[in-house]
Amino acid sequence: MSYIIPLIFITVILLSVIRKQDPYSLFIQGSSSSLKLMMKVFPYLVTVMIAVEVFRISGVSGTVAGFISPAMNFVGIPAELTELILIRPLSGAGSLAVLENIFATYGADSDIGRAASVVYGSSETIFYISAVYFSQTKVKRLGFAIPIALISTFAGSIVGVFFVGII
Amino acid sequence: MKIVWTLMMVVSIVTLLILNPQNTVVAMTRGANDAVRLSMTLVALYALWLGFFQILEKTGIANFLAKILSPIVKFLFPKSKKETRQYITLNMSANLLGLGGAATPMAIKAVGTMDTGSTRASINMIMLLVISSTSLQLMPMTVISLRASHGSASPADFVPASIIATVVSTILGITLVKIYGLFLKKREKKKEELGKSELIIKEKTKKELPLSVFKRQ
Repeated sequence: MSYIIPLIFITVILLSVIRKQDPYSLFIQGSSSSLKLMMKVFPYLVTVMIAVEVFRISGVSGTVAGFISPAMNFVGIPAELTELILIRPLSGAGSLAVLENIFATYGADSDIGRAASVVYGSSETIFYISAVYFSQTKVKRLGFAIPIALISTFAGSIVGVFFVGII
Repeated sequence: MKIVWTLMMVVSIVTLLILNPQNTVVAMTRGANDAVRLSMTLVALYALWLGFFQILEKTGIANFLAKILSPIVKFLFPKSKKETRQYITLNMSANLLGLGGAATPMAIKAVGTMDTGSTRASINMIMLLVISSTSLQLMPMTVISLRASHGSASPADFVPASIIATVVSTILGITLVKIYGLFLKKREKKKEELGKSELIIKEKTKKELPLSVFKRQ
């Protein structure tokens, strides 16, 4: 797997030379839009992450997780993963901290540690994505996009946690 | 998002106010700091991948990839522009390889080409958002390396289950968006019909108007 990325880069650069393009100036052209992009994305990033940190440190996320965990148990997800599932759609850095905590507490190879890996590995920071993707447009109303994304991810997590118990 | 954010802020800050008010500013500052640190990482990642993708685009490789994947992309994103499909193809390839940092700028560009200036997200935008969220991923590198650093005996042993999970969530997500799209279409048709009948009524009243005016005179 680790060979794939270097191979892709070599192929692309060589191909561009063969096609008489200048990969050096093309790269500059492309990367020059990076900072501009971040200028637009940053306000969303900082707004979401402040809320997530307050949510975690106030202990509200833990309390909410306590309320939901019986329902989680019902669908076969260990109660210890509830906070991870709750924070995951909101913040990548925040949920990574929760995951690290789970590994430290229960061990990376424990059933809970493996189930947590599946939950983290098969999901995305949905709220962050939805803010960032539309940051350059006027779109405000997303319809049912976020509920659909959350339901699908959660259903995937249930199936994944079930399978990690067997494999 | 509006509601979620406001709720999170209000409930959390009220709780902090009761339990330990001095932590409020600490927490908010830490969140802002995290965002700055993350944005620096992302600027670097965006620069790397946007540069790389510029080569892909101008060399015609992006076009080639888009052609190969076009049956799938056309099914998922009907009536999309060629340019949009190119960015979506790159976004999907990056996601598959587990390069989230590379996938995001491509998705932003794809959404940009789909933009009509409307405040309502189109069904194709919703599809892109859902597909990115369910993240069909072959190698969740972050988790693997984190497990390795916590002394796991085989850090990648959860990957099959994780792939099953993303396949399930992706298929379910696509199905739900397609159903939602059908529902939206129906609603639009109804609205159009309503609009037509209203027009007919208006025309009728217009026609009748001169008569009544005439009568009064």
